[in-house]
Amino acid sequence: MLKELRPGFMMMLVMTVITGMIYPAFITAIAQVVFPAQANGSLIVSNGTVIGSRLIGQNFSRPEYFHPRPSAAGGGYDPTASAGSNLGPTSAKYINGTTKKDDQGKEVADFLGIKARIVHYCVENGVPFESSVSLDRFKDGDGNLDDARLIAAFNDPATPLTFLPTTAIPSDAVTASASGLDPHISPANAGLQAARVAAARGVSAAQIQEMVVMQTEGRSLGFLGEPAVNVLALNLAIDERFPKK
Amino acid sequence: MTSIGILQIVVFFGLVLLVTKPVGLFMSRLFQGQRTFLHPVLRPLERLIYRLCGVSEDREQRWTQYAASTLSFSLFAFLFTYALIRLQGLLPLNPQGFGAAQASPDQAFNTAISFMTNTNWQWYSGEAAMSYLVQMAGFAVQNFVSTAAGLAVAIALVRGFVRHESETIGNFWVDLTRGTLYVLLPLSVVGALLLCSQGVIQNFEPYTVATTLEGATQTIAQGPVASQEVIKQLGTNGGGFFNANSSHPFESPNPFTNLVQVFLIFILGAGLTYTFGHMVKDTRQGWALFWAMAVMFLAGVFVAYPAEQAGNPILANLGVESAATATQSGGNMEGKECRFGISGSALFATVTTDASCGAVNSMHDSYTPLGGLVPMFNMQTDEVIFGGVGAGLYGMLLYAIVGVFIAGLMVGRTPEYIGKKIQQKEVKMALFAILATSFLILVFSGITIAANFEKGGYWNAPGAGIANLNNAGPHGLSEILYAYTSASENNGSAFAGITVNTPWYDLTLGLAMLFGRFLFIIPALAIAGSLASKKFVPTSAGTLPTHGPLFVGLLVATVIVVGALTFFPALALGPIVEHFLMHQGTLFSTVVTSFPIWS
Repeated sequence: MLKELRPGFMMMLVMTVITGMIYPAFITAIAQVVFPAQANGSLIVSNGTVIGSRLIGQNFSRPEYFHPRPSAAGGGYDPTASAGSNLGPTSAKYINGTTKKDDQGKEVADFLGIKARIVHYCVENGVPFESSVSLDRFKDGDGNLDDARLIAAFNDPATPLTFLPTTAIPSDAVTASASGLDPHISPANAGLQAARVAAARGVSAAQIQEMVVMQTEGRSLGFLGEPAVNVLALNLAIDERFPKK
Repeated sequence: MTSIGILQIVVFFGLVLLVTKPVGLFMSRLFQGQRTFLHPVLRPLERLIYRLCGVSEDREQRWTQYAASTLSFSLFAFLFTYALIRLQGLLPLNPQGFGAAQASPDQAFNTAISFMTNTNWQWYSGEAAMSYLVQMAGFAVQNFVSTAAGLAVAIALVRGFVRHESETIGNFWVDLTRGTLYVLLPLSVVGALLLCSQGVIQNFEPYTVATTLEGATQTIAQGPVASQEVIKQLGTNGGGFFNANSSHPFESPNPFTNLVQVFLIFILGAGLTYTFGHMVKDTRQGWALFWAMAVMFLAGVFVAYPAEQAGNPILANLGVESAATATQSGGNMEGKECRFGISGSALFATVTTDASCGAVNSMHDSYTPLGGLVPMFNMQTDEVIFGGVGAGLYGMLLYAIVGVFIAGLMVGRTPEYIGKKIQQKEVKMALFAILATSFLILVFSGITIAANFEKGGYWNAPGAGIANLNNAGPHGLSEILYAYTSASENNGSAFAGITVNTPWYDLTLGLAMLFGRFLFIIPALAIAGSLASKKFVPTSAGTLPTHGPLFVGLLVATVIVVGALTFFPALALGPIVEHFLMHQGTLFSTVVTSFPIWS
């Protein structure tokens, strides 16, 4: 065994040099010359500032923009903390959400949950729904939904709040992606958001819907994966064509 | 299921079938010392390596020496990786300034074992813990050499069948070098550039700070990803550069790269079945192994895909679309990427656990119970469905030995396989290897479920072993079972909600990976040595033919009965019961009440 040590050490050293230094340096050199844009992250630069990467999703919450999927990466779309929720199909937290006490002892939303996401999606996009009690009961002074009260109502063991959209919601709209950085939404999800974006920009829904169709990426080679809409690319294109007044 | 989703799976399988012969033929020639088209370029480098390492190319090794060389090499692989992780703060190529604080000794131990054993189990997030140097000169190097070591062991076992009345089974250092230089490196160069052309990043820049359209700041992680991504798939290693692994758009930006990645996972494992047939001079023997693997792959993917497409009935009752339409994929999209959809995700999950890869493009923890059962079951077969590079073949050959032994018992004859009498020693060794991993999985899972640690203490700060779970009820059991299955079988994927960066989990998962690797390799080499020393037995009328559908069926049955059914009781309490509870709409809250029996 002892005489096996020298080749063991030397082989590890030599392989580190070949596969751990020469090989990646070689790939980097070629990549930086032949595919510089891809190799550096497909960055989108506008007026000298990087506004993001075409491949990495980012947060949008304003009504005049299309919104991405829920994200479990850090505080949402944090590329230094890529992650999924890792919540299983029978998790109460996943479905009903959880609340926690903040520093001042006030009850706030900890995890939104599928049900509260559905409520938000319906309210934001004007999707019709049936609710066992009026949503006004969960609004604060400014008329915004108080998530902590909403989640508490869903978790009420005696008479939980029931809420049902009358149009089915695309599954990608209320679920978190695997990476937390999914740059895409489904065309159906974009379609349901189009009217809101159009109203916020003062243009017709048909004009925005047309942009969605233009920005929909088909399947790779015609049969791989799913058609999808790149949210950042779509929002950039809309900003250019219909700037917010 | 949609027809286009099925088409993706069929096309993928067709591509694997197509390359099995050329890839296998190349490896057969290479490991029998013949010249290949790459020799003019690589032969001088190969000779230089032998000179530097003091290896004499023509010196053959007995199985014990071969095993000693494997262990010696693995020891230094562990030490190099451990040192790199702990010293990263003092070393270059570290723009984010990661240091020893990012990895405590027990965590570095776990990771060094993990990469040395071709497992790539990860408690850390690459983008938040490991410097570019550690990823490139530590992890990516292990991705090459642990693969080449597995390949070498498989070739040595095949030589056991090929040779007769021979003392030796080849030279580990030569097999290791040839596997790395002629098989892994050229395919990696081509694959890395292909991935890079599609948007996989390859640079040494610090993280980019972007200002988003809404004016927020977004820090975008960078790094030499493409060069590591390709070998992570090809070598069935699976350790992602980023936490989100192949679901991260910088690791796999589109559905085409997704196909490339699953293809890379299978090609060497599939090719090796042909290498086996070609080396034993009866390619039908190789194809029999191939089809046994193919049957189990297709069965797995066509359970996982419909389960995921059917989705979660709890969400459907809340008004979420579960059927696929032209404009959205339906199904269970929690933990899945839009661009891959349901089919591309279920295919990846099946392939990555058929092989000992463990890369993921979707989060298995969020799969439906049956969709998540398939990856777990695949690993529990000892990953012989094409399997890890080398590990899949030597695992399947051990099952073949057990299979002909069982058939021999049924007809009352001494079993034979590929012209060799299968006797007590071979059967004992094969069963030892197969049962060792089952033992590791069930014993470590059992202890961890019952274990109670001091809350805030050293071993497991959250307290009880089950306090680390992200899900309650049967799904929580699945998280622990999956973790020890993945470690013992050297896979590396996870039901990743479980928190595993505590000394207890680092140590036990590390030991599971270590024993899972070498308690399989050493018996396999012992069998190689034993077979090589035997006389060749010519086929007679009483020999069970091992190339037809009957043998394929026997082999599949052996894998399922001997390998996987051991776990049926555990699986019944985890994914199977969860499936029925999900259909009842039962939900579980994470309230930890630990077992009082172990403290």
